[in-house]
Amino acid sequence: MNFRKLQSANQWKTAGLLAGMGLLVGLVVFALLTYFGKGSTAVVPIAVTIALISVWGSYFLSDTLVITMTGARLIQREENPKLFDLIEEVALASGLKMPKVAIVQDNAPNAFATGRNPDHALIAFTTRILEVMDREELQGVIAHELSHVANRDTLVSAVAATTAGAIAIVSDMMMRMMWFGGGRDRDRESEQNPIALVLSLIVLILAPLAAVLLKSAISRKREALADATAVAFTRNPTGLRRALEVLQADTTVVAQKSNAVAHIWIESPLDGKSVSKMFSTHPPLEERIAILRAMEGSN
Amino acid sequence: MTIIIVVAVIALITLWVIGSYNRLIRLNVSVEEAFAQIEVQLKRRADLIPNLVETVKGYAAHEKTTLDAVVAARAKATAATTPGDVAAADGQLTTALRGLLAVTENYPDLKASANFLSLQEELSTTENKVSFARQFYNDNVRSLNQAIKTFPSSLFAGMAKVSARAFYEIENPADREVPKVQF
Repeated sequence: MNFRKLQSANQWKTAGLLAGMGLLVGLVVFALLTYFGKGSTAVVPIAVTIALISVWGSYFLSDTLVITMTGARLIQREENPKLFDLIEEVALASGLKMPKVAIVQDNAPNAFATGRNPDHALIAFTTRILEVMDREELQGVIAHELSHVANRDTLVSAVAATTAGAIAIVSDMMMRMMWFGGGRDRDRESEQNPIALVLSLIVLILAPLAAVLLKSAISRKREALADATAVAFTRNPTGLRRALEVLQADTTVVAQKSNAVAHIWIESPLDGKSVSKMFSTHPPLEERIAILRAMEGSN
Repeated sequence: MTIIIVVAVIALITLWVIGSYNRLIRLNVSVEEAFAQIEVQLKRRADLIPNLVETVKGYAAHEKTTLDAVVAARAKATAATTPGDVAAADGQLTTALRGLLAVTENYPDLKASANFLSLQEELSTTENKVSFARQFYNDNVRSLNQAIKTFPSSLFAGMAKVSARAFYEIENPADREVPKVQF
């Protein structure tokens, strides 16, 4: 498997998953119509609006917001010229602008990138990752983070979060309507197929869960894509592979200020508590390392 | 009804032609920008060399051949103008610098000097930048050439006055051996 094939495979998978999310929205609307009748679909635009405002506000402010949520501090070239050199190198390889650089005071080695577009990109490192990694490993990490910028992953995750959020709100509102007995037109009951009613109810109950699963799957594909793109930038799978091994060997976890930003780190801070693979925002480190190792071997 | 369909089809075709044309122009501009970036990095490296040579001379003055090779290669590199010459001179300078750095291994005093250490870091990041700029240029050339040679964008290459570019290849056999990984 070379990086170009991996890149396009992951792009296609993301597109498929986003289409799946669209399908889920359609299914929810259909279930609403079946169960509650026409009047209920008014909640859809309301839910979408709420989701849009909450997600896209943070999308536009992502670079400034994340700084506050992670406690990152912007630094200038003079503070760490070596790090800036490294980032400039990878920026050249990627053709991206030089991003803003920030440091997070933390004892766990980790890094992240954010920003709504390459002009507003921000890349941050914990103090620990700068201590434990050598030049080659850091280059791999930087390439992975800049890949998120190049692949517009802040946008992709915002789209996924909006859809999942809207579905959750619709489902929540419907459940409340049911408890309070409102909503359903009494005269519709007689003409409806009971199986269709039960199925619709199941769809409405399970949709938020399905949306979260899809959202996590999208996040995992974007991580795999960023690994492949990182190799496209550096042409050196070894650096990133060794960096991931350092992360794997280290058991400390970023002292989270907020779970809301868990997905943006290179290594998920939630991995330790992750219930199952299906919900995690990152592919397992072993899997990522194995893929990079295969790229090193493919001569 | 038929008229609407005909108009719509014509509009779509026009948009597609404009899109393909613009894409070729854009690719061509990216290639030029990428080449300019190589030149920026090469200049940075050339500016670094006098200082490096002076520092090494202070500790290892009798490594005259190696030092002279670097100075000569630098002179050639700064004089080069055409893309072919630039690439050739770049290759020679890269080899000469590697030779110089290999020689410095024998001089512990030199390697320990703070001045040399900071020069070494600057030189290694510049070397990386030069090589990433070359790689980025070649990636852009690859996209441009692909667009020019494949149908249907090949139809507009003449109209957009863009032609296939040569890859930036430096004349250095050692460089060809380095990549262990094939992409």
